[in-house]
Amino acid sequence: MFSRIGYAVRETWASFRRNLTLTAAAILTSAVSLLLVGTTFLIQRAFENLLVQWRGDVEMIVFVRSDASAEQITLIDSVLRASPTIIDVSKLTYLNKSESYEEAKRIFVGDPVTLSLLTPESIPTQFKVVPLSGDPTLVRSLSDQYRTLPGVEAVALAEDEFQVISTLSNFIRVVTLVMSLVLLVVAVGLIWNTIRTAMFARRREIEVMKLVGATNWFIRVPFMLEGLLQGLLGGVVSCGGLWALNSAWSSGVAGFKPGTGISSLIVPSSYLTSVMLILLGIGAIVGAVGSAIAATRFLDV
Amino acid sequence: MSHNAKFVAMIRLDNVTKIYGKDTVAVREASFDIPKGQFVFMVGPSGSGKSTLLRLMNRQEQPEHGDVWVAGRNINEMPASRVPYLRRTLGNVFQDYKLLLNKTVFENVAFALEVIGKPRHVIERQVPLVLDLVGLAGKRERFPEQLSGGEQQRVSIARAFVNRPLILLADEPTGNLDPKTSEGIMGLLNEINETGTTVVMATHDHRVVNAMRRRVIQLDNGVIVRDQERGVYE
Repeated sequence: MFSRIGYAVRETWASFRRNLTLTAAAILTSAVSLLLVGTTFLIQRAFENLLVQWRGDVEMIVFVRSDASAEQITLIDSVLRASPTIIDVSKLTYLNKSESYEEAKRIFVGDPVTLSLLTPESIPTQFKVVPLSGDPTLVRSLSDQYRTLPGVEAVALAEDEFQVISTLSNFIRVVTLVMSLVLLVVAVGLIWNTIRTAMFARRREIEVMKLVGATNWFIRVPFMLEGLLQGLLGGVVSCGGLWALNSAWSSGVAGFKPGTGISSLIVPSSYLTSVMLILLGIGAIVGAVGSAIAATRFLDV
Repeated sequence: MSHNAKFVAMIRLDNVTKIYGKDTVAVREASFDIPKGQFVFMVGPSGSGKSTLLRLMNRQEQPEHGDVWVAGRNINEMPASRVPYLRRTLGNVFQDYKLLLNKTVFENVAFALEVIGKPRHVIERQVPLVLDLVGLAGKRERFPEQLSGGEQQRVSIARAFVNRPLILLADEPTGNLDPKTSEGIMGLLNEINETGTTVVMATHDHRVVNAMRRRVIQLDNGVIVRDQERGVYE
């Protein structure tokens, strides 16, 4: 058993060195494609931070003063419900102080100065409004009416704030996902080709192995390990790249004035870690798939 | 299932036909038994089907019709996953030796044991024994290109025999060698045969066949035209 493992490791390493250029190309391609996958994840998460208060078709938020009385809140609620033809009453939600504070923590993750000014007591509560009507002027005239209600601090409209970003975010998501998928397929192809070349270079050895009765798995395993290692190394390189990218981004964003929306484009480091783990996993899968196809397909030499 | 095949013949071909492509008949309706321990020559001109017969015996080829039995098993019905274990009971020697040029004599022979998972201590014991048998004990650290053709063929025979196979299949083993060297190789194959190993050798070398006076199966255009004990090449 030990001699078998030793054999597989030795052969993997020898073949790795023999095909250095092709191997480097395969590793770099998978690294670039994985980096793109990782960047997609991060951009997605950053936009999500930005858009977290506008989830679920919410297009208007009525902020209520933190010192508003219960009667004032009930009044606002009933006024909102008084326009059931324009507002989807079933989706009308009210976030109390602790819920609003939880949301603020996500929005201001990159802006600790602003967050420190907020407390669960001082924070405004909010009604999230999903309009039924697609007519923006109708929604806008309603918002002007709500602003005058007692206890209302402000009314925000999605159209004014994040409509553009939301569209942009969807566009970027589609583009980066398609690009990274295409690159992943290319990476599988390159690993497949490296393994095929490695097997071709060793066709005489494979022929002898088959004639003296080595099992197909015994012949295959070193090649599959080689592919797996290539994918995994691509994953490691992409993790390094992603970390550097994210650090540069975070320190750049930190230079912005607090309170601007940009500062919420920072991704928590726990999220970065899980994205890196995902990249390593995808890398290993890409390598295993590419080499498994090659090792099965080209064993008859 | 034939019981005779099981207990009498080491190799049995039963009405075997092998066709390449659509209509190139390499072997036509071949039937014969080879008992354990026999030395058999397959003779005939190039393209007469002798190599194909050897390739049918280690399942490098599958026949279109008929059955091939080796050591009591019908190897055509054997699942592909069992074929490596069949091949561990066979040794193969080729005209072009098929040695690995980046490995030494010792490593070439050890390779055959290594890749079937034999432990190191078995390899360290068996390889020197077989190198001694083929007369290359002093050249174990040489590379194939530092050896003569006859010596390279001895390495190849050592590799085929190191796992003590039941059968040795030799395809034109003297094809690239001069008469004097060929004689030495035949002596070695004879020695291996005397240990009880069945030897099947394809050749068109008149001299070695006539000198040995063993069973001769002659092929012409894929058909067996003669099967003679203690025969000569005609």
